[in-house]
Amino acid sequence: MRWLLPLLSIVVGVVNMALLYYFAGLEWDFSLIDSIISTLILAICVWGMLLAVNAYPTRVGSILYALIIATFFSVLAGYGTWQALRATLGKNNTLYMHWLSITMFIRYISDWLICGWVATFAAMQKETETLEKRFMNQNDVTNLHREAELYKLRQQLQPHFLYNSLNSISALTMIEPSKAQDMIGKLSDFLRSSVKRDGQEKISLTEELQYIEAYLAIESVRFGDRLKIEFEKNYKPNAEIPPFLLQPVLENAIKFGLYGRIGQVVITVTIMQEDSMLYLTVTNPYDKENQPQRGTGFGLEGIKRRLFLLYARTDLLDVTKDDDYFMTTLKIPQNNV
Amino acid sequence: MYRAIIIDDEPLARQLIAAFLKAYKDIEIVAECGDGFEGFKTIQEQNPDLIFLDVQMPKLNGFEMLELLDKKPSVIFTTAFDAYAMKAFEAHALDYLLKPISKERFDTAIQKWMRLAANKETPAFDNVQANVYEGYQHRIVVKDNGRIRIIPAQDIHYIEANDDYIKIVTNDGSYLKKSTLSHIEQTLDPQQFIRVHRSYLVPVTQLVRIEPYEKESHIAILQCGAKVLVSKSGMAKLKSTLGW
Repeated sequence: MRWLLPLLSIVVGVVNMALLYYFAGLEWDFSLIDSIISTLILAICVWGMLLAVNAYPTRVGSILYALIIATFFSVLAGYGTWQALRATLGKNNTLYMHWLSITMFIRYISDWLICGWVATFAAMQKETETLEKRFMNQNDVTNLHREAELYKLRQQLQPHFLYNSLNSISALTMIEPSKAQDMIGKLSDFLRSSVKRDGQEKISLTEELQYIEAYLAIESVRFGDRLKIEFEKNYKPNAEIPPFLLQPVLENAIKFGLYGRIGQVVITVTIMQEDSMLYLTVTNPYDKENQPQRGTGFGLEGIKRRLFLLYARTDLLDVTKDDDYFMTTLKIPQNNV
Repeated sequence: MYRAIIIDDEPLARQLIAAFLKAYKDIEIVAECGDGFEGFKTIQEQNPDLIFLDVQMPKLNGFEMLELLDKKPSVIFTTAFDAYAMKAFEAHALDYLLKPISKERFDTAIQKWMRLAANKETPAFDNVQANVYEGYQHRIVVKDNGRIRIIPAQDIHYIEANDDYIKIVTNDGSYLKKSTLSHIEQTLDPQQFIRVHRSYLVPVTQLVRIEPYEKESHIAILQCGAKVLVSKSGMAKLKSTLGW
């Protein structure tokens, strides 16, 4: 914007002079002085006008305001030009004075057009800036909000599992002390890896699976030999996943899979990668007879929300079932392929 | 001799309570149950004096199970929930034990209960709200010829008040439940279910159109073909919820 006003002044001045020399048939020295004086006055008025437009404190109706200001300054410029030319070139020159008074009308019009154009342009520019600023602020607020919500959701996943495990350990200290010690070790492993990963948006899938193993070791103590988990892994080494997503899905599968059954229950975890999408499918058997017809999963709503906050998509969690099996599929978009 | 039942989906959690109870010769454990369905059945058969009830169980949670019981025993809840949820328990004067359960806290709860039971002062509670800990419910649990039936909220056509009962009308017929419309209204998502009339609670997804009826009242036509009355205040609620 800094260079725009001088440049514009020079352009207007040259055009002004050309018009006077070629079309109005004025002598070249008269043309030069006339256009320098009138362009200079116009430039000063435009500069003053820009100050006035930018100083306007509110946004509402700023273009209308700009046009009013432009009208005022163009009249000022026209009148200033009239006075200045009369005092210089028009002195003792009735012919020039006569010509000047005829062209004043055109000069007023062209001044008004130039002022109006510049003022409107400036007002629009200012409005865009304000909007952009507001938009950026809004973005900051949304981001903060999103972060807070993600943090809260991550936190929610932890405590009840921890408290339930401690309760189991408490029971084991009375029933089977050696198993209690074993479980404390496993719980510590689990906690150590959760503390390490807290606050990270994405971690490698290999690392997440180690964490899952620590988790499953605890569950197998809680549920004994009845629980069997089978993995089928087929993914690229650089696959990534947001932490703490898979564990609640497994927890859900274990709760619903073990429920109402005698004997061993097999839960399968299938991991598959296809181009830029990672698919993690957890399959558990379920009891069709007593199962409520539609999802009442403990953690699934939270997972869905987290996926939405991370990827702005609602189609990343699929729940399907047939007569005997319940399948939960997590889809994780991969950026690094 | 008091008779107690332990209901928890985790075997170790049940064993812990059983181990703590060994110190109390006056309390006999008559059954242990792994879920709400079994708990419901066993309570009706055994008619215990006291139950230890886990809140968070698959399929039928502790509150839903209690809602279905006509004759409710004394309850001590066991839960791994956080302090926030506990405020809701306290508001309903329910006794609860936080997991991991400490011996000390357990003894306090039992002694308090035994004192009250000896004087036959054990608090009875109706209207236990199933939503005190996990937000709005997305289902209603009813008894249907002695069997438990879970009705997902999206299957409900409308709910009608019927003296001491509510009538829940669904795809496969209607069910009666001993409850009030105001209570059910509080447990369901108000963005989904609107009390359009003193006697009617209607899911917004069921609405087809609304026609003027007598002066100042309207009638709503539902997808299932039923027509329900809409009062003046019901109309105002509809307008504000749906943003008309």
